Amino acid sequence: MLGKKKAKKKGGFIKKAVGLLGLTYAGLFCVFYFDLDGKLLYYFVEPFMKNHYDRMERRDPHSVPYGQIDNEYM
Amino acid sequence: MKKPDLKNLDIKKLARDFIHGKPHGERRLGDLYIPGTGLYKHREWRGIKDTMYYFNNIWLYNYGNIVMDLFRYSNGNPKVLLQFLKGTWRYRWMGQTYLTVLHWFDRGLEGLRGEALKGSAWHYRALVSASLSQIVGMFMRDANIGGDPALRAKTMAHDETVWGGVFYPFKDQMENIPLQMIPYFVTCHCNNHTVLNYIDSIQSLGLPGDPCPMCQAESGLYVEDDMPDFYPAYITTNEACDGSVATSIITDWLAQKPLFAMPQPMQFDDDTVLENCAKEMEGAWRFTEEKLGVEFHWDELVKNLEAQNELMRFEWEKWDVDANTPYYPINGVAQALYRIFQSQYGERWIWHHVDSKVRKIMEKCVEEKIETFPKTRHRVIAWSCAPLYYSNWCTWAYNCWGLNVVINMDSLMFDMEIRTDSYENTLMDMAKYHEMAPMRRNAVGGLHHIFMLWENMEKFNCDMVAMYDQLQCKGMQGVVGLFEDEFRARGIHAFWVPHALPDKRTVPRSEIRQIINDYMSTVMGEEPLDPSLLDFDDSDSW
Repeated sequence: MLGKKKAKKKGGFIKKAVGLLGLTYAGLFCVFYFDLDGKLLYYFVEPFMKNHYDRMERRDPHSVPYGQIDNEYM
Repeated sequence: MKKPDLKNLDIKKLARDFIHGKPHGERRLGDLYIPGTGLYKHREWRGIKDTMYYFNNIWLYNYGNIVMDLFRYSNGNPKVLLQFLKGTWRYRWMGQTYLTVLHWFDRGLEGLRGEALKGSAWHYRALVSASLSQIVGMFMRDANIGGDPALRAKTMAHDETVWGGVFYPFKDQMENIPLQMIPYFVTCHCNNHTVLNYIDSIQSLGLPGDPCPMCQAESGLYVEDDMPDFYPAYITTNEACDGSVATSIITDWLAQKPLFAMPQPMQFDDDTVLENCAKEMEGAWRFTEEKLGVEFHWDELVKNLEAQNELMRFEWEKWDVDANTPYYPINGVAQALYRIFQSQYGERWIWHHVDSKVRKIMEKCVEEKIETFPKTRHRVIAWSCAPLYYSNWCTWAYNCWGLNVVINMDSLMFDMEIRTDSYENTLMDMAKYHEMAPMRRNAVGGLHHIFMLWENMEKFNCDMVAMYDQLQCKGMQGVVGLFEDEFRARGIHAFWVPHALPDKRTVPRSEIRQIINDYMSTVMGEEPLDPSLLDFDDSDSW
């Protein structure tokens, strides 16, 4: 009796896991087919990152002295 | 949008299209684009088998393997995730560019079916993995984001046009990472928005706009302070041309690190020049030994050269199938990018892994006589250097006009095995290989090399030439008229593809398409296979 209950519980868990995996797979297929990854990157991620990089403080190249470090290896 | 006629639906045809995908002439791939963006309203339905292959074996597989590669190339170090995030936040070329990598696949693989889809996608997988090996390598070492100084101390950086094989004798003790291959070269193919920042940066210092934009962008990385600090010293070259010398001068100024200049001769057929080139290579070895504290290991050199020779031999097998049969399963852009990356970057495990997959696909095609590009109207050879922002133009050209770009100049440049029977022979062959670098071998390395087009056209059974015209390459601009004369004299159908290498602002992609459209309709008198691809707006696409 106890064994049957356990088996039933186990079966229910497997069904749920398979169902969840199936849903995830179907969801990913929708992301793929409707190019949702591309749309997310194009309309949201890229503009956000671009703004971030545009605002970054950068070294002024003119502050770097010109000096070559020469060696002879020939 | 036209409403479907529900009363006259052909259910059988709908079912057939659902199962097998629409036949080539009915696809209307241009209708899938969202105007201006290059995004898809939805990705192409290629029939059940090929759509599911794309979803499982390309889209899911590559997203998953990108994560796997991070760990693979950091030897399982969990710090790689943090370094990857820091690098993405720090560098424009990373965060704005490479996250869009799966769209790079999409653009290159549009319209492909069956074995051609599989073979070409494997090539892209290799490109992504080899790129990640460099990205991880840079970020794990980068002083700007807290990278490991011990790893950094054993790393030699070099211009992307210095062949990675130069460092084979030390591969068991150090790492070599090209400076610009990832921050510049691959970005242009993957997402060409970012490179424009670097071109504009160097011009903001007063450089005129007409020098080679490759050299401008490579220098601009330093001006923009967007180059990782992962190396104690580096090796430069004058390849492809003197513009690269200017790149080295600016790099020298802004990197402030010891450098060894290893020039490659412009006219490389002379034996005395070869000897000098060999001496330069030995100089580079001494520089590496001194700066990194490593030793020359002959066995390591031979091991890596033999592995590289194996890649070369398989490439020859591929070219044989490509040249003499309609069963070659690689499209034009995959062929070009894979071969240039592999032969320039040098020996890595991923090339062998992918070649073993491609061998199986190719052998199946040959044994079962599978015509991989069945709508081929013309076999095209692409000559000179390609527009990096539109390297997938040949995918469009096949889908729209049946122009099958079977081979290109950059694939053919490193066309040799390297002897490993003695130090002298190996050194001379390595020097020769080093001399035959991109754009030097068949472009700015002498007229008779440029004119090797004719023999390769014959070898690969081509009936048409796509002649690239890099508008800011002074060397190749000098021979435009000579090619025009030769095309006329030889009665060869050829169209020009003007471009400015990475900079899409000079010649937009739509203009390239229009030039080809005009040639195909007015000179060749042909009708497009897919009229929806004649004119569409992808002006701001990646």
